[in-house]
Amino acid sequence: MLFFVLLGFITAVLVPLIKKISDNFLSWIIPIIPASIFFYFASFYYQIADGEVIKVSYSWIPSLGINFDFYIDGLSLVFAMIISLVGTVVYLYAGSYLKGDTRLSKFYIYISIFMSSMIGVVTSDNLMTLFIFWELTSISSYLLIGFNHEKESSRYSALQALLVTGLGGLALLAGFILLYITTGTWDISEINKMPAEVIGSSYFFLIVIFILLGTFTKSAQFPFHFWLPNAMEAPTPVSAYLHSATMVKAGIYLMARLNPAFGNSILWNDLLLVFGTATMLFAAVLSFKQTDLKKLLAYSTLSVLGTLTMLIGIGSDLAIKAFIIYLIAHSLYKGTLFLVAGIIDHETGTRNIEKLSGLRKLMPITMIIAVAASLSKMGIIPLVGFVGKETVYASVLELPIFGNYLIVITILANMFVVYITAMVGFRPFFGKLKSTPKNPHEAPFRMWSGPMFLALSGLVLGIFSSLFLNKLINSSELGIISERLNIPVKLWHGFNLELLLSTITVLLGLFLYFKREYFLKFVASFSSVKFVQPSYYYQFIFDGTLSLAKYITSKIQNGYLRFYILVILLTTFSLIAYTLHTFYSFNEINIGGSVSVYEVILAFILIISTLLAVSAKSRLAAIVGLGGVGYVIALFFLIYSAPDLAMTQFSIETLTVILFVLVIYKLPKYLSFSSTTRRIRDIIVASFAGLTMFFLVLVISGTSLTSELKEYFIAESYPSGKGLNVVNVILVDFRALDTLGEITVLAVAAIGVYSLLKLRKKDN
Amino acid sequence: MPQNSQEILLMLPHVVIGVGIVISLLIEMYSKKSETILPWISLFVFVFAGVHSIINISANQILFGGMLEVGGKPAIFNFIFNIGAALLILNSIDYIKKYESNHGEYYILIQSAILGMMVMAGSKDIFMIFIGLELMSIAFYVLAGINKKKSSSNEAALKYFLLGAFATGFIVYGIALIYGVSSTTSVDSIIQNFSTFTQNILFIVGLLLFIIGFSFKIAAFPFHMWVPDVYQGSATTVTGLMSTTGKTAAFSVLLIILSASLINYNIDIFAPYFAVIATLSMLYGSIVAIAQKNLKRMLAYSSISHAGYMAIGLAAANSEAFSGIIFYLAAYTFMNIGAFGIISIIEKQNDANTDLTAYAGLASKSPILAAFMSLFMFALAGIPPLAGFFGKYYVFISAIEADLTWLAVVGVFSSVISVYFYLRLVVYMYFKESEKDIDLHIDKYSLLSVVVSGILVIYFGISPDSLLNLILSVVN
Repeated sequence: MLFFVLLGFITAVLVPLIKKISDNFLSWIIPIIPASIFFYFASFYYQIADGEVIKVSYSWIPSLGINFDFYIDGLSLVFAMIISLVGTVVYLYAGSYLKGDTRLSKFYIYISIFMSSMIGVVTSDNLMTLFIFWELTSISSYLLIGFNHEKESSRYSALQALLVTGLGGLALLAGFILLYITTGTWDISEINKMPAEVIGSSYFFLIVIFILLGTFTKSAQFPFHFWLPNAMEAPTPVSAYLHSATMVKAGIYLMARLNPAFGNSILWNDLLLVFGTATMLFAAVLSFKQTDLKKLLAYSTLSVLGTLTMLIGIGSDLAIKAFIIYLIAHSLYKGTLFLVAGIIDHETGTRNIEKLSGLRKLMPITMIIAVAASLSKMGIIPLVGFVGKETVYASVLELPIFGNYLIVITILANMFVVYITAMVGFRPFFGKLKSTPKNPHEAPFRMWSGPMFLALSGLVLGIFSSLFLNKLINSSELGIISERLNIPVKLWHGFNLELLLSTITVLLGLFLYFKREYFLKFVASFSSVKFVQPSYYYQFIFDGTLSLAKYITSKIQNGYLRFYILVILLTTFSLIAYTLHTFYSFNEINIGGSVSVYEVILAFILIISTLLAVSAKSRLAAIVGLGGVGYVIALFFLIYSAPDLAMTQFSIETLTVILFVLVIYKLPKYLSFSSTTRRIRDIIVASFAGLTMFFLVLVISGTSLTSELKEYFIAESYPSGKGLNVVNVILVDFRALDTLGEITVLAVAAIGVYSLLKLRKKDN
Repeated sequence: MPQNSQEILLMLPHVVIGVGIVISLLIEMYSKKSETILPWISLFVFVFAGVHSIINISANQILFGGMLEVGGKPAIFNFIFNIGAALLILNSIDYIKKYESNHGEYYILIQSAILGMMVMAGSKDIFMIFIGLELMSIAFYVLAGINKKKSSSNEAALKYFLLGAFATGFIVYGIALIYGVSSTTSVDSIIQNFSTFTQNILFIVGLLLFIIGFSFKIAAFPFHMWVPDVYQGSATTVTGLMSTTGKTAAFSVLLIILSASLINYNIDIFAPYFAVIATLSMLYGSIVAIAQKNLKRMLAYSSISHAGYMAIGLAAANSEAFSGIIFYLAAYTFMNIGAFGIISIIEKQNDANTDLTAYAGLASKSPILAAFMSLFMFALAGIPPLAGFFGKYYVFISAIEADLTWLAVVGVFSSVISVYFYLRLVVYMYFKESEKDIDLHIDKYSLLSVVVSGILVIYFGISPDSLLNLILSVVN
């Protein structure tokens, strides 16, 4: 199992080696990889259809409970088979589509990584490994969307897709972690067994929001849908693979997978229903004014993704049945139509629907494929799309209260889908032949064979739906709801309401198609209001962040040391002031004790020196002021019986003043002072810092700090140091090393002064 | 005396580096070939100290009457410091020659800085912490200005020194207050009686100043001011060392505060402080990094936001956070050293140009360097399954367990922003064409260093268990 899941990564490593033989060889041989993965998963079909579940586990990070646990049930199997089947077609197709392109091997590397990650997402039973594969799909899709990287728009779209899905991915991680904390396990199958714990959790609301952020961004649900049409910058095989059949369905997959745990909550169901329906309708309406083949398809994909989300939200047995059939049907016909769009683009050199017409004679095979896929998409009997649409309608109709409203919305949205299909599947082929940038020919074998196969599968699955799909849907463990479905799948249900609605939808869609000129004017006036477009907000936030970044850089990181110091002082002293304010009541301050005359005089000198240092107009005067401050402090030390400290302070102070004078003497005079406002700002900050320190010192003096040293020194001074003068003994005995250090510092400073003096002599 | 000699044997990594410094000094003074000898001596002492520490990780002991701890947690830190430094020495060999600042003091200073870090990580006494810190910081001040002929390098050194002096001042003042209240300098007894001491306002203020001082060193907002200017101005290899091992050393001290809250469960007075610092650093770093045109400056802001992610763990203050931060530091060190290694290679070829534009079209000129640079960028952005992802994952999960979910959400949000600027470099390398045609010469030692860092980043990502189990074994 692990081998087949990781086969794509192995392939990615091997591609450069195979490429050395020849590009052509590579493109012929490589479709074997997805094909073998397809057959591997297909071999489980009967086991799964009989209701078995396959679990395989490989340990990875056991200490965190993160392991490669794989879990194959009906849901995973359907996805894995779609991924590998469409993968095979796309690999084959790309060999011809990118023929002669030097980047062919790069393409195969990226897409192999993508395919493996995607398989990993749908088979993982462990939330963490699922997340890791999930992120890898985002990264590889970034590389694939930006494949034509010389185009600015291509890079822009790739980045947009990555940022939107990346944001969602990380939200998903947050949701997963909360889910883990709630349930105590990473195993999805275990989590699905405890819906009561999940729904009852205090984190439940957050979990739902985070997980839905992840799935909605990935599956391009409203309001995050805007990245998908832009992602059409990617080469067509990529769009066919990522943006219709696989990656955009990862979110849908996850919602379906987690539905047993969340499905019983009103919050989950309502959010899915509301956003699914909104996406379905919104995308369908937006598609109307598109003229680009691929963008048309992108909007119709969006609409389908919305429908699928809505179906999970409904959550009834019938809805789940519709979900699976619709999913399969869509992957088959939408992949086909994308590939057809690629063929048309490749052959004619344009994707503009206005320029394409009458290709039926030049490209008959392509036309047959396109028509077959379109009919399936429109929901015409006997294709699988018909079965899908019938079931969707049936499940919506089944809803008790608002089913009637919802069916109108669904029909409306599907009407647009029919319109899109007509535009993509019919319009280019019928009517009069128009001239195009390139002279169109029939596509080469490799390009049409894959789509043809997919289109045929749609037909086969439709006609023989009771044969193939019935068993899988009926009796396998789908894992979306806890029970098995037991609803037979068949093509023909007789003349009923759903058939009538299907017919109405197709007729309405065709009406829209033929009368589009009239409706276009109406829609154009509606959607030109930019405020309703979420992409406008994306752009706003994107640009806003960039200019914010530039603004902050110029304001805060301006390179001025004085500003840096200002910020640091302000922060530090605010924090100290805050701490003092919160934890200390100032009644406790004890300003006792007598003040001697000396102290008053010294304090007076101190204040004057400080003012002198601050206000001096020359550097020399400022230094003198600072020196004064230093000496006064030394004198304070002396008064408070610390002669050693005082001595050190005196000598250091003297040396620093000399050093300063020697250095600063050479500097030019002050050229300009800062502006008055700046100085006022500085005064405020400085006073604040000074006052805070003042209070802190008051607090310190009011607290009795216990020191065992004092007693120790007094007691040991004579017995150990043989001296009666305690201070002397401390200096030369107890702290002899300290004193040595002080002397050394003095010596070093003196050497500095000496060398500066020597430099001056040389200068003269 | 036998007791002491045994203790000296136990701290062999420190001794080897100390002896290395002395020998290097002598060689520098008396040998004319010191340029070629010194790198190898440094490399030897670092590799020896790193490997020796990690092998003897289980020999956890406290030496010299409760001064220095060896084995256990310090051993992991010593491993990070020494292997990180060894990788940077490999990078420096060619780089330093090129910039004609090929003086022995470069290697001597790096050895001193690393010794300082090792003392910090192992210290069991607040004065030891201070000695280690100053040994490291002073070596860094000089190293920042090692490129004497470049004015930006001089500016960096001066700014770093002046702002660093503030940090030191705060720390000393803090230590004085802490000692005044607790009348002990032993880290263990301070931790044990933490809840009693915190009754005293002066202890809290002292600790606050102590933490603020180290907030400088980890480059957390708003004490990050020096970081962009110093990172950009210093020689690239020095920046690499400062931003990784220097930050790790500062965190190794801050973890003491964390272990104090772990033992005294209800004491989390600093949780709000760390939570605010974390939030501001993450957002500020990530947002401002977007606007940068210079790669070194961009990585400086990225380093600020990474400090923020790790500070989440300090705010969460639980045992997951403890091991999470250590893992994060290891991961961060190796991915950043790799990135700076590549910068130093490109810089040499391109007239000291470290702008993003210098990387345009690198993928076609040197696919290996471009691939490794992308690897480091992806790892820094926290993309799984690389080392950076698990680092972030551990701290986020610790925050959620500590009921600080909002902090994890801010972290996630900032990670998304950061994807943008890390990826921008990848875009330059792969999606743009180079303007100048330069002949890219990659010296083999630098390449070796980059490859080793890359392998470690992948290995810690694919098999995080290997490192995590080691961390868990010493934390418990």
